[in-house]
Amino acid sequence: MSNELLTDLHVSYIQSLDKHQDDLAYHLTSHLRLNGVYWGLTALCVMNRQDALPRDDMIQFVMSCWDDEAGGFGAHPEHDAHILPTLSAIQILAIQNALDRLDVDRVTKYILSLQNPSGSFSGDFFGETDTRFTYCAVSALSLVGKLGLLDIEKTVAHIRKCRNFDGGFGSSPGAESHAGQVFVCCAALSIMDRLNEVDHDMLAWWLAERQLPNGGLNGRPEKLEDLLGPFGTLDPQQVIMDRLRYADIVHLIRPGKALS
Amino acid sequence: MASMLAQHGVKRARQSPEALKAQKDKETAKLQEYLVLTDDIFTKKKSSDWSRPAFDLTTRLLNMNAELYTVWNYRRNILTNGIFPASTPEEINGMLSEDLDMTMVFLRKRPKVYWIWNHRRWCLEHVPDGPVDDTNGWRQAYWLKELSVIGKMLDADSRNFLAWDYRRYVLASMPNPPPEANELAYTTQKIESNFSNFSAWHQRSKIYTRLWADQLDHQTTKDEEFELVKQAMYVDPNDQSAWIYHRWLIGPGDEKVVLDREISVIQELLTVEPDSKWCLESLVHYKLLLVNKHGEKLTSDRQQLLDDCRRMLRKLKGIDPQRARRYDELESKCTASS
Repeated sequence: MSNELLTDLHVSYIQSLDKHQDDLAYHLTSHLRLNGVYWGLTALCVMNRQDALPRDDMIQFVMSCWDDEAGGFGAHPEHDAHILPTLSAIQILAIQNALDRLDVDRVTKYILSLQNPSGSFSGDFFGETDTRFTYCAVSALSLVGKLGLLDIEKTVAHIRKCRNFDGGFGSSPGAESHAGQVFVCCAALSIMDRLNEVDHDMLAWWLAERQLPNGGLNGRPEKLEDLLGPFGTLDPQQVIMDRLRYADIVHLIRPGKALS
Repeated sequence: MASMLAQHGVKRARQSPEALKAQKDKETAKLQEYLVLTDDIFTKKKSSDWSRPAFDLTTRLLNMNAELYTVWNYRRNILTNGIFPASTPEEINGMLSEDLDMTMVFLRKRPKVYWIWNHRRWCLEHVPDGPVDDTNGWRQAYWLKELSVIGKMLDADSRNFLAWDYRRYVLASMPNPPPEANELAYTTQKIESNFSNFSAWHQRSKIYTRLWADQLDHQTTKDEEFELVKQAMYVDPNDQSAWIYHRWLIGPGDEKVVLDREISVIQELLTVEPDSKWCLESLVHYKLLLVNKHGEKLTSDRQQLLDDCRRMLRKLKGIDPQRARRYDELESKCTASS
């Protein structure tokens, strides 16, 4: 196993992802395309290789996902607007310093229109609610400078209802804690400056217990490790609660070599 | 790449060049079919085609890719804008019934796709009044069936949280829901068949939170819960589900009698399982609660308790090194608490 991150290989891989138009699998994931672009771009940024994908092409692609009828972004050209790709679009434009391409008022109106009387957010006009969408809304509004238009109390009240006995958060009131939902709820609360809603000790304990003997992280008790686990677990621990020391990072990166 | 996905985990037998070419041609043909169909549907969608042929095309495409949320949207719009307005309530009910059947077929293959669950909810929410002599008749029948459907999904995968979420949705939406006691019994059944079912323990915590908010005296049922969770701890001390639930039952530790009792229960388990991380971790937490909440009433020496905790934390660092730094932090609190 290598001791360093093989940056060039990762960059080539990311660059190659848009070159599989001959594969059915590529097309079967069109509903995730814009989100995929965001993850690819972010990975490049982390590796300091943002220029590896052409900026103008990317911005053009993002704008081609704009659903003018709804006032939001779809996951792919001609796909319906949904809050998930809307956040991805805004994130990409922000990273690429191209927020001026956005009709901020319209997209703000779209996002705010997705909030329900209960304080939850729907993903689109068909109404599915999930705390993931709350995070998308809060993050997107914050990125375009319109967080002030959000009813913070109402939004926080809903997240509070999604908090569980183990300190974690679920997708909706009553739903089981899951690291992915913990991330979105903590992130949303953090953006709204309401981390006081989190039971830090309890949640940090629950998150610390996501690490498995092999070093990987799971998303829920007694589940196998996966790649969402680390993101959902470590982000709240470190960025938000400053308890990253509760995880054995060495073991996560190099399975088999635990913290000494 | 598509063929590699289709054969994930299966060793690919050596194929002749002719066989490989035939496979590649087949994949190319499938891709072509997919692209032509997608193009056709999106063109119709743009022109607001709400016809039956368009509807049937969405069926074909969703069978190839049930994650195309835009096509699910279009399908629903065809129903509400085109087909339903021209149909009788019986016909609408029939179509919804067929769509519910379709989602079941999809869910058996892809039980964790949100879009499929969403369509199922939409169908249930659009059942028309009927039959003629019983306005809620069709609806009632569907809701009753849903609980049994979701029971089967949870039998197949008792940790599928989309299924649990859907179960909670059904219970909340039914016009005449069964009493909470029924759901409690369901979680008992799930837990007794597998103590490691954290999803079931979680559901239980929600039911009891509601029940205990209404009952002034819930000591008996709470004690029964402690008994149940004790069984789980003894059967598999390594499974965290029971320990997390136990911590919730203890809560802030206001009741000294309960704390003392549970500490000795766990202490007893520790004698049989001296290296049990969860016994040690829980004892540390509960003994610290004892010190912090009931300092003035302590029969054991306060210092003794803190020494116990420090000793256990040192042991924990050895048997659970990944969380060593958390145990360090707790150890420093043992000295500071005075």
